Amino acid sequence: MSSGVGASVPVGVLVESVGIPAQSGGGLVPRGSRVEVFQQIFEVFLVLGTLVGVVVVGYMTYNAYKYRDRDDRGDADDGIDAPRVGELPTGSGGGRKLFYSFGLSTILVVSLILWTYGTLLYVEQDPPGDAEEDLEVEVVGYRFGWDFVYPNGHTSETLRVPEGETVHLEVTSDDVFHTFGVPELRVKTDAIPGQRTSTWFVANETGSYEVRCFELCGAGHSYMTADVEVVEPRTFESWYADTSNESETANESNSSARPPEEVVG
Amino acid sequence: MSKLKLYTAIYVVLFVLATGQTLVEFAGLDYWVGLWVILGLSFVKALFVAVYYQHLRWEPRSVSFVMLVGLLAALALTIAASYSIL
Amino acid sequence: MSAEAEQSTDHGHGLPPASSVKRWLVTTNHKDVGILYTVTALFFLVFGGVLALLMRIQLWTPGEGFLAAVSYNQAVSAHGLIMIFWFLSPFAFGFANYVVPLQIGARDLAFPRLNALSYWLYLFSGILFGVSFFQGGTFAGGWTMYAPLNIPVYTPNIGASTAVLALVLFVASVTVSSVNFLTSMHRMRAEGMTLRRMPLFSWTILLTVWMMLFAFAALLAALLILSSDRLLGTQYFAATDAGGSLLWAHLFWFFGHPEVYIVFFPALGVMAETFQTFTGRRIVGRKWFIAAMVLVALQSFVVWMHHMFLTSINLQIKTLFMATTIGISLPFDLMVFALIYTLIKGRVRFTTPFLFSFGALVLFIIGGITGVFLGAVVLDYEFRGTYWVVAHFHYVMVGGVTALFGGLYYWFPKMTGKMYDEFLGKVHFALYFVGFNLLYFPMFLAWETPRRDFVYPEAFVSLHQLSTVGGFILGASFLVMFYNLSKSLLVGEEAGDNPWAYSVTTEWALPSPPPLENFPGRPTFETGMLEFRRGPGGTERSGVEAADGGEPTADGGEPSTDGGAAYVAEIEAESGHDEDHASPWPFAIGLASFVALLGFSGLQQGGFPTGLSGGFYAGLTGGGLVLLGWTLVRLARERFNGPVGPFGESWPFENVENTKLGVWLFLASDVVLFGAFIGSYVFIRVAHGWTDWHDLIPEAHVVLPGLINTYLLLTSSFAVVLALVAAERESRWGLVASLGLTFALGVAFLVNKALEWLHLFDLHGGAFAGGWLPSTNVASSTFYLTTGLHGLHVIAGLFISLYLIARAWGGAYLDDERPVEYFGLYWHFVDIVWLFLFPLFYIL
Repeated sequence: MSSGVGASVPVGVLVESVGIPAQSGGGLVPRGSRVEVFQQIFEVFLVLGTLVGVVVVGYMTYNAYKYRDRDDRGDADDGIDAPRVGELPTGSGGGRKLFYSFGLSTILVVSLILWTYGTLLYVEQDPPGDAEEDLEVEVVGYRFGWDFVYPNGHTSETLRVPEGETVHLEVTSDDVFHTFGVPELRVKTDAIPGQRTSTWFVANETGSYEVRCFELCGAGHSYMTADVEVVEPRTFESWYADTSNESETANESNSSARPPEEVVG
Repeated sequence: MSKLKLYTAIYVVLFVLATGQTLVEFAGLDYWVGLWVILGLSFVKALFVAVYYQHLRWEPRSVSFVMLVGLLAALALTIAASYSIL
Repeated sequence: MSAEAEQSTDHGHGLPPASSVKRWLVTTNHKDVGILYTVTALFFLVFGGVLALLMRIQLWTPGEGFLAAVSYNQAVSAHGLIMIFWFLSPFAFGFANYVVPLQIGARDLAFPRLNALSYWLYLFSGILFGVSFFQGGTFAGGWTMYAPLNIPVYTPNIGASTAVLALVLFVASVTVSSVNFLTSMHRMRAEGMTLRRMPLFSWTILLTVWMMLFAFAALLAALLILSSDRLLGTQYFAATDAGGSLLWAHLFWFFGHPEVYIVFFPALGVMAETFQTFTGRRIVGRKWFIAAMVLVALQSFVVWMHHMFLTSINLQIKTLFMATTIGISLPFDLMVFALIYTLIKGRVRFTTPFLFSFGALVLFIIGGITGVFLGAVVLDYEFRGTYWVVAHFHYVMVGGVTALFGGLYYWFPKMTGKMYDEFLGKVHFALYFVGFNLLYFPMFLAWETPRRDFVYPEAFVSLHQLSTVGGFILGASFLVMFYNLSKSLLVGEEAGDNPWAYSVTTEWALPSPPPLENFPGRPTFETGMLEFRRGPGGTERSGVEAADGGEPTADGGEPSTDGGAAYVAEIEAESGHDEDHASPWPFAIGLASFVALLGFSGLQQGGFPTGLSGGFYAGLTGGGLVLLGWTLVRLARERFNGPVGPFGESWPFENVENTKLGVWLFLASDVVLFGAFIGSYVFIRVAHGWTDWHDLIPEAHVVLPGLINTYLLLTSSFAVVLALVAAERESRWGLVASLGLTFALGVAFLVNKALEWLHLFDLHGGAFAGGWLPSTNVASSTFYLTTGLHGLHVIAGLFISLYLIARAWGGAYLDDERPVEYFGLYWHFVDIVWLFLFPLFYIL
């Protein structure tokens, strides 16, 4: 639900006036890393949403105050057709104004969503990079941790990826419904047993980020974390060349030796 | 035709359709053609029971609409959910 | 109304006075039931609220501390379930029970005993949920109960099963209630009270119960499948490679999204009523307001997948559901503007009910705007599972609750006859509004906190502490309310019939509280204004005095301040009997259901464990079922006179008698129940690979038993038709023989099925050496459970037919064959279901 008393400016104009920088590909539809597209769209929504909210709530509060019942109001009972007990409910006039406001809010909401639909198509179908060459890692959620399986079979509890490159993830779960997400990298997808979901991200800065679970999965849900380590592409290459299809530590991929917090419940 | 005769005739039709439905499987049709024929026959039989045995024909249309809305809701769930994973 | 007058109206109905505890156990009067609902819902508000405060204490600092992890998960889950199921809707239905019959001009609901039954099933389901805490802990998988966390492999405690069964009982209550309200509201409106002219609160309730009828049937399907997985060992949700996990999400949200409007619509109705009353203006664009609500009610069934945008559903369906989601947000814009424009040129009086409604609108606008963020799929991807969602839906849902508290203050004088303390009401509102925003607004700022986590980034500590403080202020505000209302109830000023200027609806033309039969005469709006008519041809009329809300006065004849006694006498004279307002059986049935379900909770893999506790649960099950059967028969045998016609307006069911309409509405919900079961089967089979399905089924599973059963059921349907013809021809033995044939064919159906099942259970060799059991694979699970549910319908039908045979033997139904006809409707429906199950499970 939204409303648009104050925002009759075409969305395109607004978007540019808010100052969306043209990202790779340019144009009206935000593109770039997931952090960038989220930030751009979120900001536009936040600005417009706040504006609309303030205007609408302000308008209704103003009117409630202006038309408050006072003893000194001269119009008294005479002259107005006051509602009476026992009458059949009917409506008041004012339909035209209602429809203008409704139309305006419709235009605003529909254009906003259509605008973001362009980005949805980009995110879903046309991510940056070259799908053939980009790194693809399989992510397997389990109670309560994450396994990352590289194309060469190497399995790790840390997701190590090169900086500035598109990384594709194929996500699933070994047991219950989890949701894989790295808040800082704005990447998230459900980890569903028996299903595979795919997503991607680009990390533009080296460093360490935290993976968390976003769907209640049992007692260890709050502790179901893992690390993402973003390293220089060259460091990544040499690290990856040294891995084999062995696990990083002996007990990691062995489900019987999973962390002790695997409590039922 | 008295009501009793009508009911009896419908009973015979239902009996025949049920038998026919089972025989479709052995008619050597393509699986998917057969599937739709069989389901179609189920709908036909259900209509006969609803319209005559449950007297929907003699009730206000609104009752039929209520049942139709329920059926549509169930179909929406079935079709959209199945389509979502195709 | 004075105590003496109350006494006088209660005479001869077997209904004890309001001061007696017994009255509240046996009452079937809609106003009493409304009060029971309201009080019970407030109890569950406190229950759910305390759980929320426990969570807020835990969140004071990140990390485990106050509660252990499992306890926290239980608090999260129980808080959600209690608030959504046992508080929100029942609270609204307290008002609905009390006010709707008054507003539409009905003396009571169509089926007063079923109304009481709805209440008792509701109360006992809540108690059952409470019991689950003491059976190794309640369900801890969140109120959304995602699969497969909801199956015993991951949540093995008995309490988790009990929680699911409590929900089943709750759904039973809701279904009975929806059928009752729909029948009453469609069939029993006063003359001139057409649907177009119905007050907006009644409109919201009407649309709410329509949504309930269908949405809760889908939830029932989900819960029955889950119960079966937990108690009988079927494999629906365990079979994750066949989409079990997604199946739950589809079933749950197919119910879950309409549920949002089910809990919000009554709040919208309260807002519409209070805005009109306290601005002294009729609502702007009334017919568009109604049209918008109808549109939302319809659309609410095609938006559910927006809760699943991050699952493996395809892009096409995401696009479709994104479009329907935007579509459903737009009608709300119109409703909000209609309310706002109603303020203009009004005479706005800031009473407590108006403050709560006005506040609710502010909160709902914020909730709505933040909801548009979630409608943009790209943003939804990031908000999924975070506090943005938590904050958004609390602004919407608790925003709605805010309006409902406005409704409580608005109707409190009507329900009790006493005025609340206006100053304390305003204090409540101030604390409530500040507490609310302090609690939920920081959640938007701390939105990156994962939902249902107690470990969150250090950066958000102060925001979460603000939330906790807000939570306690919100909680404390209710102490003011409870003090205010209980004190006013005891020593408050008399409210009079109509304490509000400019109120319109019928309840304000009646004494506070209204007498048992509600009206001083037959209410009619024939002239466009409410009138009460008595005497032959309605010659004695009394109208209603205008705006200032005086006593209803008589234009001629005796004054109507006799509490309606003359009207009651007239009803008795017309219909030849009193209207009854008391029955002990609804309570007894509720208790029996409670005992039986508590017994069921001990089931594991289709059997009770050996030992003392297993015996205990088995005993409860057996005792509960026997008690249930006995109480149902007693209810059926009891002489009870509900309100009878003629009614004024019955569009669009003019010629469908109340009971018949009730049966049809029940069947409509049953269509969705079976539809959801069949839909689950289709979904799982598609997920597994439609034609690979045959690998899961043994060769021994052949068409013939199914075909024989098809013949048996078709013939039994024909036998019921013959029974009806015999009854119409007043042939006692023809009737008994036809019903006997129906019964025999039904038994044959079950025997044939039992033989078939035993044969399949007992397979040796081949791919299914251990037998083809319900727990063998997902195909056997769907087969046994779906046809088993159908079998249960057959068994229920057989019990009804036995009852009919016994009565027909004694000569019943010859002068009134309707019970036979209604049984036929049910039996034919069971037949129709089989017509689809047979090809799906035997041929294809």
